[in-house]
Amino acid sequence: MNAIPVLTIEDVATLDGVLGDFLKKTESDLTVVIDRGGNAISQCGDRDVMDVTVIAALAAGSFAATRELARRIGEVEFNALYHQGNGNHIFMNSVDDETIMITVFGSRTTVGLVRFYSTATAQNVAAVLKLLRRTSHGLSFDAKDISAAPVFVDPP
Amino acid sequence: MSIINYASREIQFKIVYYGPALCGKTTNLSYIHQRINPLNRGDLVSLATATERTLFFDFLPLNAVVIKGFVTKFQLYTVPGQVIYNATRQLVLRSVDGIVFVADSQWEKMEENVESFKNLSDNLALQNMALDEVPCVLEYNKRDLPNIAPANYMEYVLNNRKKRLQSFEVISSTGQNVFATLNAVSQILLHKFSKLSQTPQRESLPVAIPVEPSAPETQRLPA
Repeated sequence: MNAIPVLTIEDVATLDGVLGDFLKKTESDLTVVIDRGGNAISQCGDRDVMDVTVIAALAAGSFAATRELARRIGEVEFNALYHQGNGNHIFMNSVDDETIMITVFGSRTTVGLVRFYSTATAQNVAAVLKLLRRTSHGLSFDAKDISAAPVFVDPP
Repeated sequence: MSIINYASREIQFKIVYYGPALCGKTTNLSYIHQRINPLNRGDLVSLATATERTLFFDFLPLNAVVIKGFVTKFQLYTVPGQVIYNATRQLVLRSVDGIVFVADSQWEKMEENVESFKNLSDNLALQNMALDEVPCVLEYNKRDLPNIAPANYMEYVLNNRKKRLQSFEVISSTGQNVFATLNAVSQILLHKFSKLSQTPQRESLPVAIPVEPSAPETQRLPA
C-alpha cells in the first residue's frame, strides 16, 4: 500500500505561524513553500491576486534550471535566486534538498530585508518538514472514496 | 510526490506527458485546455521557442473532485522531446506521480519512440524509480496519418513486457481518446494510494506480432 505524506492541521498552523511572521517582518505580499517538483506545500499572504499553482511550477523550473549554471562555477547549486521586476519581484531560497521557499514582494520592502529574514525562516520551515518526514505515517484512501466516474469529461 | 495539506484538504498529483520530438505532447495539453470547463482549469503555460517547439515544459493545472472530502489537483506537464534537452526532461520528471508516454505512430518515427521510451526509463532510474512502480499509460498518437504502423506492432515494440501498460490509439489534433488516456492514468494513480492498492493494470502474456492489425488491450477508435 502506498501512502501520501500528510501535513496535519497542527503542522499547517506551525508553518503558517512561521511564514506569517516572515511576511510581517519583511512586508512581502506572498510566500509559498514548494517541493522541487513544483507542488505547493504551504502558502501565506495575498494568494487571490496570483495563480500560486503556476508560480510554484515555474519557480521550481527556474530554480532547477540554474543548478547547471551553478555547477559550471563549481557550486552544487545557487542557494538563492532573485528576479527583479519594475514594481514586483521574486526571491527564492533553498529550504532543504526537497524544498524551496518563494517570496513575492513589491516596493514597500527591499530584497536585502527579504534575504535577511529568509535564512532564519527557511531553517524553521526545514525543521518542521524534517519532523514531518520522520514521523508522518501518510494517508491512503478507501477505494470506495475514489469516484469510479471518469475524472475529466470531454463535453460533446 | 506531493504532501497533502490537511487544513486545505488538497492533494496534488503531477502527470508528465513524455515522448519523442513532435509526437504531439503539447497538442494533447492544448486540446484538454480548450475542452475542459474553465472553472476546473488554470492557464496553459508554454515555455516554447519562437517556432513553438517546447523549450522547457508546458504546464496545465486541472482541478477535480474524485476523492471524497478532498480537492484533487492534477498538474499536467510536457517535456521537450528533442534529444539535446535531456537535462530538462530529468528536471520535469522530478516528483512525478503519473506518466503518459506519447508515441508517434508513423513508421519512420519508430526508432525515436523506442529511444525516447528507453530514455524515460533511464531518467526514472536516476530518481531511483522504476517504470513498473509509476502509473503509466501508452498513447499511440497520429492514428489519422496514412503511413502509420498497426497498433499491434506498436504494442510489440513498446509494450512487450510481463506487466503490460494500458494503451490508447489517439488523434490528439482532433481530441480522439485524449481524455480517455488522461482518465486512465488518473485512475491508476488514484488507486495506487487506495488501501487495497487495486490498480487497473493487468498481468498479460508477452506480445507476439499478430497477422491481423487488432490488439484487444488497445482502446480502438470509433469507426
